[in-house]
Amino acid sequence: MSRSDVLVDADWVEANRDDPGVVLVEVDEDTSAYDKGHIRGAVKIDWKKDLQDPVRRDFVDRAGFEKLLSERGISNDDTVILYGGNNNWFAAYAYWYFRLYGHRNVKLLDGGRKKWELESRELVTDVPRRPATSYKAQEQDTAIRAFRDEVVAAIGNLNLVDVRSPDEFAGRLLAPAHLPQEQAQRGGHVPTAKNVPWSKAAEDDGTFKSDDALRTLYGEAGVDFGRDTIAYCRIGERSAHTWFVLHELLGQPNVKNYDGSWTEYGSLVGVPITVGDAS
Amino acid sequence: MGVEETAAPSAQAAAGGCGAPAGGAAISGAGNQAIVQGKVTRAGAPVQVGYARLLNVGGDFVAEVPLGEDGGFRFFAAPGDWTLRVLAPGGIRTDRAVTAATGEIREFEIVI
Repeated sequence: MSRSDVLVDADWVEANRDDPGVVLVEVDEDTSAYDKGHIRGAVKIDWKKDLQDPVRRDFVDRAGFEKLLSERGISNDDTVILYGGNNNWFAAYAYWYFRLYGHRNVKLLDGGRKKWELESRELVTDVPRRPATSYKAQEQDTAIRAFRDEVVAAIGNLNLVDVRSPDEFAGRLLAPAHLPQEQAQRGGHVPTAKNVPWSKAAEDDGTFKSDDALRTLYGEAGVDFGRDTIAYCRIGERSAHTWFVLHELLGQPNVKNYDGSWTEYGSLVGVPITVGDAS
Repeated sequence: MGVEETAAPSAQAAAGGCGAPAGGAAISGAGNQAIVQGKVTRAGAPVQVGYARLLNVGGDFVAEVPLGEDGGFRFFAAPGDWTLRVLAPGGIRTDRAVTAATGEIREFEIVI
């Protein structure tokens, strides 16, 4: 797999967005950004309302995903280009989700909304109308999704990559520093996890670093490329960004995103926790 | 330090996830938080398109928010020294050293 299979740049979007087989999708937790202006032709997916189950602590099931994509006018054969704010965190989460449910052709816009804005490219408020489709999803591909018992079993055996900031890893902060620090669960990290913050994989403008720089980053942090890997963060979107780097850009074969992440692990009774900075 | 009351509806959306609301999450006081906030201006007017980033003493990224319509940003830091970086169209990138303290709101105006 090469970068062009999974990433596009802004020039590609401007040249191809009118292709009827290309669907641009902005994915955010705060969709007021889309409402104020988005790339022409883009539909929106609300990370919370559209992708999370309204009752259970889980994301929408296969039928829910089929309904969502059908309503958005996305077909199984469409090339879906995802982008969003927060350095593409939620877009990367959606990408993982599209892969989980078997969508064949999905890519990220490198740099996401931020790079587009910093380059002063066009944003519009017109909402496109796409005719509904009959989207068919596959069963979840759990080869790329980790659950809590797998994480406990991975301690000391697999690569565990904690992609949160060093302060969250150490247990000094319980959430990213742009949010109030008021979570109830314990702080710290899964024993034997390496701390490679998601941000180290990205440039200031949100684009991904080169493959060589990425291999050096994870290698120097102690990630063994010969072993399987589980990535986690607080709720699973920053680690979807790192899953994208390891699995899609670097082509590592067995990488799972633990979407329960620290919010689940740090609330489990009886599991081991380590506090303090990376050694 | 003054307390700025904001009513950004987008802040509500951040409660369940990790998203960074434009301008930063709304607050009604510092409480036990260590807050770094402020505005980015150009020629006296708020800069509405741009990003504020918080870096630790090692220069590593910690957090980022898109600027609000008033050019505002807000971070909930740990007490200590930080670098505030502002990115704006036109290749603008400016850094400012800031210090956060528990129970205080530290306010900065960044002129680009």
